[in-house]
Amino acid sequence: MGDNGRTNCGCREYNELSRRNFIIGSAGAAVFGAIMPAWLPKVVFARSANSSRDVIVNIFQRGGADGLSLVAPYTDANYYAARPTIAIPRPDSGKVHRGTALDGTFQFAEGMLGLLPAYRGGELLVLQGAGLSFSSRSHFDAQHFIEVGKADDLSLSSGWLGRHLATSDPMTPGATLRGVAVANGLPDTLAGAPKTLPIPDPGNFSIDGNGDTTNARTDWLATDYFRGTGLLRSTALDAAATIALLRSINVGGYMPSNGARYPDSSFGTSLRAAAALIKADIGVEAIQVDIDGWDTHTTADPLAGQLYNLMSDFADSVGAFWADVLQGSGRWNVTLVSMSEFGRNVRQNGDAGTDHGRGGVMFVMGHHVSGGRVLTRDWQPLATDNLEDDQDLKVTIDHRDVLAEIVKNRLGNPNLDVIFPDYTPSMLGVTK
Amino acid sequence: MAESAESAGESVDRPDGRRAALQAGVLALAGLLAPVVAGAQGARRKAPGDNVPRPGLPPATISPELIDAASGWLSPELRLVRRITMGLSASEATLAQQLGYSAYLERHLNAASIDDSAVNQFVATNYPTTVASLDTLSTKDSGLVQSELTNAMVYRAAFSARQLQERLVEFWTDHFNISFEKVKYLKAVDDRDVIRRYAMTSFPQLLKASAHSVAMLAYLDQTSSTSDAPNQNYAREIMELHTLGVKGGYTQTDVAELSRVLTGWTTEGKGTFVFSPSLHDYDAKTVLGVNIPAASPSTGAAAVAEGERMLDVLAAHPSTALFISTKMLKFFLRYDPSEAQIAAVASAYRSSQGNIKSMLRVVLSRQNLVAAPAKLKRPYHLVVSAVRALGAQVADPGPLSDQIANAGHQPFTWQTPDGFPDKIEYWSGDILPRWNYAAFLASADAADSVRFDVARFMTAGTAPAVVSSIDRFCFGGEMPMHLREELAAYVAPDPTDPSRVREAVSLALSAYTFQFY
Repeated sequence: MGDNGRTNCGCREYNELSRRNFIIGSAGAAVFGAIMPAWLPKVVFARSANSSRDVIVNIFQRGGADGLSLVAPYTDANYYAARPTIAIPRPDSGKVHRGTALDGTFQFAEGMLGLLPAYRGGELLVLQGAGLSFSSRSHFDAQHFIEVGKADDLSLSSGWLGRHLATSDPMTPGATLRGVAVANGLPDTLAGAPKTLPIPDPGNFSIDGNGDTTNARTDWLATDYFRGTGLLRSTALDAAATIALLRSINVGGYMPSNGARYPDSSFGTSLRAAAALIKADIGVEAIQVDIDGWDTHTTADPLAGQLYNLMSDFADSVGAFWADVLQGSGRWNVTLVSMSEFGRNVRQNGDAGTDHGRGGVMFVMGHHVSGGRVLTRDWQPLATDNLEDDQDLKVTIDHRDVLAEIVKNRLGNPNLDVIFPDYTPSMLGVTK
Repeated sequence: MAESAESAGESVDRPDGRRAALQAGVLALAGLLAPVVAGAQGARRKAPGDNVPRPGLPPATISPELIDAASGWLSPELRLVRRITMGLSASEATLAQQLGYSAYLERHLNAASIDDSAVNQFVATNYPTTVASLDTLSTKDSGLVQSELTNAMVYRAAFSARQLQERLVEFWTDHFNISFEKVKYLKAVDDRDVIRRYAMTSFPQLLKASAHSVAMLAYLDQTSSTSDAPNQNYAREIMELHTLGVKGGYTQTDVAELSRVLTGWTTEGKGTFVFSPSLHDYDAKTVLGVNIPAASPSTGAAAVAEGERMLDVLAAHPSTALFISTKMLKFFLRYDPSEAQIAAVASAYRSSQGNIKSMLRVVLSRQNLVAAPAKLKRPYHLVVSAVRALGAQVADPGPLSDQIANAGHQPFTWQTPDGFPDKIEYWSGDILPRWNYAAFLASADAADSVRFDVARFMTAGTAPAVVSSIDRFCFGGEMPMHLREELAAYVAPDPTDPSRVREAVSLALSAYTFQFY
């Protein structure tokens, strides 16, 4: 059955132009008004004048990643005493499975070696003892507080990255799609972001059915949702516009450059799609990718099994992204940051696993990241007296210090008091 | 970019900034809308049902006023059907209007008196693992067990006559979330012997059943907790997620102490609850100010009473009454229940020892419901509600389960113990799977799986008649005026072409209004 076009003007360019206009004219501003609590400070809108603004890739390692396995303090006897069966042998231990020194204090686990080239290339910064200053061992609270950028405030439901996008001009004027979560639903981090959608598979984003009527049905839906209210309305309008946009990009056929090989995992595939979206240069400037499974209460042997596999997936994927996007053709300007909601107990539990802890590890990667080092603050041996509640690595680096410096220096947005309300970040020299 | 900077700044400073921005947006849209409006108005002249007075509906012309999905929901009975079923169907709408508000609610609260034998028979025949013994289940391929469990859930949701029970199963499945991936067939046992069995009893009964559920103990690592090395996972989540809530007034010390109380709660064999005295910590503990004195290891099996006592303490705790009441209100009534509404339901909890029906009568009072804004259907709810609306024939719900999975809401797959979110912010971002599902269902024509008989919607062969059918089946006769006009315009070019009508039905199911309940 053909589409006779009676219900719309039948002129595709005209329809798309109109749709683009009304989305730009309304949805972004409406969402902005809805997500900003009245108590937030006045916004000084970030301009796109800074031509060196980076795209940001934000990774959430959900579950509470064991920072003391990923980046272990190999010179600390307390570490080996607290973890009799799951500690990673020293680089000089002579063991077959052992750590690889990053400096005189910390080592990568074997599973993390995919990140070694980026570290040695000076573009990967490791932060140890990082996390949420507010003490919570609940996955859900800790994740939520990190994602919204402020602890324990129910009036704030938009995310820090959502507010960054809402308070900055698009990097590409008129961009249809500014933010993407490679996920089935929008994570809290991006809540409230204009022109932002969850797209689980960027290579396949369209309305099913008769191709002859796709445009007519898309227009019908845009018209219908235009009369609605709230978030569903704005996401529907953005989706309608994005269908047309992604149809023009071949994400599925994307070929990484520089010989980079992404693991064939959910996370690896998602980062590969992120690379494709960035290189398509369509104005996407914030991408969130999650990697689940870090809640290793049991069998957390970092040399084999679940934790080892997860570390390998993580490090090989991020390593491939570095080789492909940051080192490959074009040397794209991207800052990648990764964190988890908390680290884990210093002591292992009875199941060769670890329970919920506090301080963890963060990673920051990019051309303008002051990398090739492990950054700590007031680092102390893991003796019981130095631990929080006698059991956990303290949080000595607030995650907002790291993120705020990236937002200000690499994303060109000065509205730190809106993005991280009621907090004065300390600049640690994350960027250069 | 200056203009977006300006409008954003105004939105922060001036409350009316949003309205102004939206009006500007409408003007920008006018060029696109004009031809649609003209077509719609032409169709509207002939639409039957125009003679039905619809106070409160917006005028038929395009106006900048935005429309809340619930604004045209005038019938309290239909509002109740939307809340306590998995979706309006023509037969439930008729039944509710015949019985009246209270009698219809009582009918569904007394689910045991509703004959559901046909659905039970279908499930037992087609999904034998759902009725199999533990020994049999443990030998089955876990992929088979999972698909049968999921398909049984979807089939019951769509066709069970005990619709409120299915809503409660959905609610408690999230509240006591267990990921199938971690515990495999044990979740099938939990679904049958805990969630479904106790869904309409009382919260303390349900809590106790869950605490003895092998699936739950395995899911939250309780099965590997010992006196030497207590695992705090279950102890934490039972307080944070199952009873008190994260602000319910417990400390990290309470978590550690409760984990000691629960040492010995574990499983044996294929999946049977057992209290293992040799794993228990017999030293004194204090949880939430309750002192549990040290006991002799010779206490043995009787030491299970420590944990049973703490479950009673948790179920009777005022924070639990508030937490469960708030969650129930948010699920059944509205995202933002008032303090007074929470207090009223919590009072019902306390006076009825957590009787679920007693609480629901307060949650679902007529006064509460007529003032409740629309809630967004989650994908599971949307998929099932569309099947019910169309009266689709389902011989195999597998394709429906696949659609739910595509939208990120496959039952029993939420990995963390907080359960699938029920927040509009979480689900509103992902609209395309909804539209694709509507396209799938409206075109479904497979007798051996899912079939929608479009002929029922095109008996009169005119666009207004098609739209009236859609209105009656899918919207209980309360389809918003603008949607009737939009649909009529889409059907008008060829109201006797089944393909065109199927597309119109897919648009109706994709439409903004249908996403809400």
